[in-house]
Amino acid sequence: MNTLQRILYVEDEPDIQAVAKLALEMVGGFTVKVCSSGEEALREAVAFAPDMILLDVMMPGMDGPTTLKALRELPSLAGLPVAFMTAKVQPAEVAHYKTLGARDVIPKPFDPMTLASQVRSIWEA
Amino acid sequence: MDDKLKAAVAAQLAQLRNDYLARLPAELAALQTLGSGLSGGNSDYASLDELYQRLHKLAGSGGTFGLAALSAGARTLEQRVKGWLAGSLDELDAQARQLFATELAALGETVIEADIPAIVSQASSAGAAPGRSTRVWLVEDDVLLGQELVRQLESFNYVVRLFTRIDDAERAAQTECPDMLIMDVMFEQEGENATEVFALRPNLRALGCPLLFITSTDDFQSRVRAAQLGAQGYFLKPLDIPRLVGRMTQIFEQRRAPAQRVLIVDDDRDLAEHYRLALLAAGMEADVLQQPAAIMEKIAAFRPELVLMDMHMPDFSGPDLAGVIRQHDNWSSLPIVYLSAETDLDRQIEAMDRGADDFLTKPISDAQLVAAVRIRIERARHLDEQISRDSLTGLLKHASIKESAAIEVTRARRNGKPVSLAMLDIDHFKLVNDTYGHAVGDVVISSVAMLLRQRLRQSDIVGRYGGEEFVAVLPECDAGYAHLLMEDIRRRFASLRFSHEGKDFGCTLSVGLACSAAYPDSDGAALLVAADEALYVAKRGGRNQVREASPS
Repeated sequence: MNTLQRILYVEDEPDIQAVAKLALEMVGGFTVKVCSSGEEALREAVAFAPDMILLDVMMPGMDGPTTLKALRELPSLAGLPVAFMTAKVQPAEVAHYKTLGARDVIPKPFDPMTLASQVRSIWEA
Repeated sequence: MDDKLKAAVAAQLAQLRNDYLARLPAELAALQTLGSGLSGGNSDYASLDELYQRLHKLAGSGGTFGLAALSAGARTLEQRVKGWLAGSLDELDAQARQLFATELAALGETVIEADIPAIVSQASSAGAAPGRSTRVWLVEDDVLLGQELVRQLESFNYVVRLFTRIDDAERAAQTECPDMLIMDVMFEQEGENATEVFALRPNLRALGCPLLFITSTDDFQSRVRAAQLGAQGYFLKPLDIPRLVGRMTQIFEQRRAPAQRVLIVDDDRDLAEHYRLALLAAGMEADVLQQPAAIMEKIAAFRPELVLMDMHMPDFSGPDLAGVIRQHDNWSSLPIVYLSAETDLDRQIEAMDRGADDFLTKPISDAQLVAAVRIRIERARHLDEQISRDSLTGLLKHASIKESAAIEVTRARRNGKPVSLAMLDIDHFKLVNDTYGHAVGDVVISSVAMLLRQRLRQSDIVGRYGGEEFVAVLPECDAGYAHLLMEDIRRRFASLRFSHEGKDFGCTLSVGLACSAAYPDSDGAALLVAADEALYVAKRGGRNQVREASPS
């Protein structure tokens, strides 16, 4: 796993999905799979075999942290880099998300032109 | 990232933002309905929970599209609702509810004031979004003709700005951009021929919006120059307004057509990925087939409009896979284009014999690939439209809209979501035809079609059911919302003014609605009958109204 190519992106809001997909595919050249809920991500993640996962924090049903915990229980995804995406980023919250096993937190709203490089630098960190 | 890709990304972002802004008023209206429905007490729980979810989404999506004020406002209200949900709902007194409703209503104002100008400049190249008024600039030195044209175009919901001098338009083009530019060819006072001087006006040239010319003299030189300038229409005076409007509508529809979908089948992963990105950058949707054996599943899920197929792959050849596709009736006309290093003409022909439509030779430049794909899909779409669409209105014909209604009702049953059908009929249409003639009647019919297309969502399906009768299929739309939508269209149509030989007149619509939720056992045809019965009730109730069917 030397390069970042496949990204699983979990977000419930269709408009944000569309913008992020555009930003990651066209600007970053990544292969992106979008899931609209934590439940869907759990069903699809193993088959898609992502290099990295981006998770919205607040979703109806399973939220981001719950989804992360469940994903970690799937053997093939246990060590995968995960970043949260959320609007409220207080330093204490970032620290909290990191203790849950996220590598970093991407603040929303994100800039579509730089999202891909942001994701790449988190992956490389 | 090179400039071309950057521009393509920016254009697509602008398009997404446009679509979002077009849907926003409906979302804000729905929030207000929810907010004003609060009554204080535990019965509010479901509404508050929904408000909480929707405000959260709005805060996120608003921020994503740069609507900072909207996002912040929605965030504040989201937090307030969260607090209410956590506490006892009895604390939600009338004053708090009133304040909440007022602030919900104010959310819309943050958008209108702060963000529309920004959209205007960004949206210029992306074309007009449905639900947003379309801005047209008319450059015409004959003031009387200009004003008359403005009035007529405005009755088709275009926002028209009249310039009597080319230089005025040139100056305005520095800071603004319309969705379309219509220019007279001859400017008497300035002694200029617009097709000659257009190239000398850098701001007008840079607009990049569709261009139409109107003229009273039909000379070949001007026509050629107009074509060289990329004009999409050349109309002789006296102007045939329905034809002009027809062309304008056609141009805008093409611009807002959904992205073309291409499936790439190539065992060279890197090359396939390269094609995918080239097509994406051109605004298309592209997907790569990973497992040849899953080709039919992939096609059914992705519904490509064209398959780009490598000739030689290790396990199966291109013609093998093309043959498999052609075994399926519903994909027998899906365009398949081979992409291969094969230069032997005999082998090319042999391959095309087995179900493919065209042959592109590798290596191929990105521009060639995009152009070849785009033209093929456009032709396929055009053909499909000629078969299924009504020539006057561009809406689906009777059989096609009926079929769409049946498909959507079945889909709604499967998803457990409601679909609403609306049947609309122009009141006293025969009188219009008898009084003003069929040409004027056609204008009235076209304007209903235009209103429906402009006011409804892209996912809604509209057809001309009969002479002056229309059907709208509204997926994932409950009866209440369908009623709001149709009421809005009824009101707008009633306010349109038509003219014939100096006389103004107006028309009205009657609408019958039926929602699948109220008729759990009905199929598409039965639901159409219910909508038709509601239409009859609306007619009997005095016309110019919307009625909803309820099972007896």
